[in-house]
Amino acid sequence: MKKRGRGIGLSFYGTGYGNGFPDASKAKVKLLKDGKVGIYVGGTEVGQGAKTVLSQIGSETLKLPLDKIIFISEDTSLMPDSGTAAASRQTYNTGNAIKIACENFKNRLREAAREQLKLNAIHGLTVEKGEIYLEFFPQKRISFKELSKIYGDDNIEAEGEFIAQTIEMDPETGQGAPYWPYTFNACGVELEVDTITGLVEIERAVFAQDVGRAINPHLVEGQMDGGFAMALGYVLFEDLKLEKGKIYNNKFSKYLIPTAMDMIQIENIIVEEPEYTAPFGAKGIGEPVMIPVGPAILNAIYDAIGVRITELPVTPERLIKAIEEDGKKKEEI
Amino acid sequence: MNLDIVGRNILRIDALSKVTGKALYPEDIFMDNMVYGKTLRSKVPHAYIRIDTGKAEKIDGVIKVLTHKDVPNNEHGVIFKDHEVFCSEKVRRIGDPIAFVVAKNKKICELALKEILIEYEEIEEVFCPIKAMKEDSPKVHGDTNIVYHYKIRKGDVEEGFKNSYAIAENIYRTHMVDHAFLQPEAGISFIDEEGRVTVMVATQYPHYDREEIASALELSEEKVRIINTNIGGAFGGREDISLQIHLALAAKVLNRPIKAIYSREESFIAHAKRHSMIMKYKTGADRDGKLLAMEAEIVGDTGAYASWATNVLRKSGVHATGPYFIPNVKVDSIAVYTNNPFAGAMRGFGATQVPIAHEQQMDILAEKLGIDPIAIRMKNIFKQGSITATGQVLTDSVPLDRCIEKVAEKIDFSLEREEAY
Amino acid sequence: MVEIKLKVNGKSYILEIEEDMRLLDLLREKLGLLGVKEGCSEGECGACTVIMDGKVVNSCLVMAFQAEGSSITTIEGLEKEGEIHPIQQAFIEVGAVQCGYCTPGMILSAKALLDKNPNPTEEEIREGISGNLCRCTGYNKIIQAVEKGKGV
Repeated sequence: MKKRGRGIGLSFYGTGYGNGFPDASKAKVKLLKDGKVGIYVGGTEVGQGAKTVLSQIGSETLKLPLDKIIFISEDTSLMPDSGTAAASRQTYNTGNAIKIACENFKNRLREAAREQLKLNAIHGLTVEKGEIYLEFFPQKRISFKELSKIYGDDNIEAEGEFIAQTIEMDPETGQGAPYWPYTFNACGVELEVDTITGLVEIERAVFAQDVGRAINPHLVEGQMDGGFAMALGYVLFEDLKLEKGKIYNNKFSKYLIPTAMDMIQIENIIVEEPEYTAPFGAKGIGEPVMIPVGPAILNAIYDAIGVRITELPVTPERLIKAIEEDGKKKEEI
Repeated sequence: MNLDIVGRNILRIDALSKVTGKALYPEDIFMDNMVYGKTLRSKVPHAYIRIDTGKAEKIDGVIKVLTHKDVPNNEHGVIFKDHEVFCSEKVRRIGDPIAFVVAKNKKICELALKEILIEYEEIEEVFCPIKAMKEDSPKVHGDTNIVYHYKIRKGDVEEGFKNSYAIAENIYRTHMVDHAFLQPEAGISFIDEEGRVTVMVATQYPHYDREEIASALELSEEKVRIINTNIGGAFGGREDISLQIHLALAAKVLNRPIKAIYSREESFIAHAKRHSMIMKYKTGADRDGKLLAMEAEIVGDTGAYASWATNVLRKSGVHATGPYFIPNVKVDSIAVYTNNPFAGAMRGFGATQVPIAHEQQMDILAEKLGIDPIAIRMKNIFKQGSITATGQVLTDSVPLDRCIEKVAEKIDFSLEREEAY
Repeated sequence: MVEIKLKVNGKSYILEIEEDMRLLDLLREKLGLLGVKEGCSEGECGACTVIMDGKVVNSCLVMAFQAEGSSITTIEGLEKEGEIHPIQQAFIEVGAVQCGYCTPGMILSAKALLDKNPNPTEEEIREGISGNLCRCTGYNKIIQAVEKGKGV
């Protein structure tokens, strides 16, 4: 028999290494030949979109089109340490470091412009679209390209460092401020449970994710879809078949991850409420996007069949067994 | 704020290289004079070992068999240095690396692996984290299997439960899973034009890899260089060292390029898993559904190595309440060694497991109280100014109410609906 | 060693190969077509998908000698006169790419599907790419890209 159910799951997630550990990201910004700008960070592109998002943050801060920015994040001999691409920390931590480095870099550019334009001070100098000019007398202007010709490669550069603010917790009471910022979300699902086969089919999903501010909405949606799929696999079918320390399901013919057939269109909703310590208000979402989905599915399964599943994964065999045991328990009563 | 680029759907800057197949991953890099490497791994979960590489070294085409004897400083690990680069005396899990064969081609590597003789003197194993916590359990490292114990003590939970009208109590169990990123681990090492030991690899944290290689090889960090290629997914599974030190060591010893590519099967045993957890929960609410107390005991199995266990179980503990204000909270979150595959970072990092428990607890309480799942949540959620179980004030950007409203606008969770339980 | 003749991305080759060589190795190591990826070596993940005589195959499951006389298209063969294929363009535009490892195989499966069925339903698209695993995207942006690529 097919039974339908609905469930909701909520979560919060603290960004970063946490617990007072110095969680630092560094960035370096350089004026290159032809007036292009190089951004050097150790923030790794694992597929999440770090290169694109971090370039957008740099581009926005410098008010410079993206095609004038060269983003270098591959070689440890060229770039500073920006911490790991984990803990949903790259957008927030490395994003902040880039923003700070770009602000410092703008001041270096203003200094150079002051010298070349023979001005008395740097205030009033605007940096925009690859030029530095005096707001109230715009004829006084010089381009990045001209500056790079005068100063050469590598001579105008600046660094930036961002260290997240967290406080180590007390070892006995756990009191402290272990993470900052926190990200929130809610996911609702509707599904159908086949009580004969034990199969669970997701029918509908609505997923609302707080992002602070979305630097790139398409990339956020991509993360939300991907997080949903990974959670679906986690809760319903991924099973290493671990026995006495041995992984029996050690290949894709046995360890089943979701295919396109297992997924449905997700109604993704991006909720924005800028975080004041974040670059342009943006918080990290790489991990949070997987978290509320599993519990939403489990609550929906209960809603459908009235049986609580407390052990993962909810494979068809486990689901049928749980239904049978529940039936026996009810008969006894 | 006047924004030009932030907030826009800029096309990914790496997309063109990826849709055309031009994006290079480590296995796509070929160099002159390149040879191949392959790892020999433990077949048993807990044993003392004796290694004889003599026969393998004599095979035509085998260039070198590296073992613990070749590593200047035979240890690594993201927090505790509890991994050996190659096991010297003891293996602690199936898949522990014991030797690394370098040969002219992949086939000879395979052949040589079969000719390395490992004598296993098996010792009693422990696979259940609850058993592993006991005094008389077999020890994986040192004299205790308890790696970490995180506590929250806030208010008085006994008093809170006494005043509760409804109480939910349950034990939840989650399992180990794999990241299953699509690109299995691979890398290529060589000595660059400036004499640096260079490893091209797909890693989440190149500077960490550099640090570990420098430490294992006893080189200064300037003498080590990591080049990150394109990375075929990670999700936490590329945080610990896998083949980086093996490759770096081989390049340093042999002064030529060495490449290694894991099969899918090897990838499964080479990298960390998500911690399995046993989560014992007790949650109490008053007649209106306001949460009064929560007690949670969380035991996480970190397998044979700690990796990020301290931070993962800490994250579980801090997030154990869920996004709810609860005046009385007691949490014990414990990481334990066993002879299972080692667990480490995976998307959500300990905060993914606890909602499996706390969100079901919320629904159980709601049902007991006859209120709907949205109502009970709205009564308890974090808002701006809320204080978490660790005493932290959420001063800014807490739009959880808006997230719930957006979902509830589209899906009806009210008890009056047709198919409600 | 055996000799085989085949056509890859419109170009004819005569190659000396080992009997136990897979088509995957031939394409990657003999011809340097590195857009063909290896993810599982057992035909489950689809990262090594290529189009062989109009049909998608997992090149890890095809022995090189079996490709005798066939015509093969890899991701490198989709560009025409420096222009990328509309499906590739659609993948870029809708954001269907993340880590990129499944992308070449995914695009080839999508192309083979659209060549056979120019106007597939969402269900047909899901089925058409169900032999290609992706761990990053949750597939939905890929489905959108294929929708966008149809009829172009």
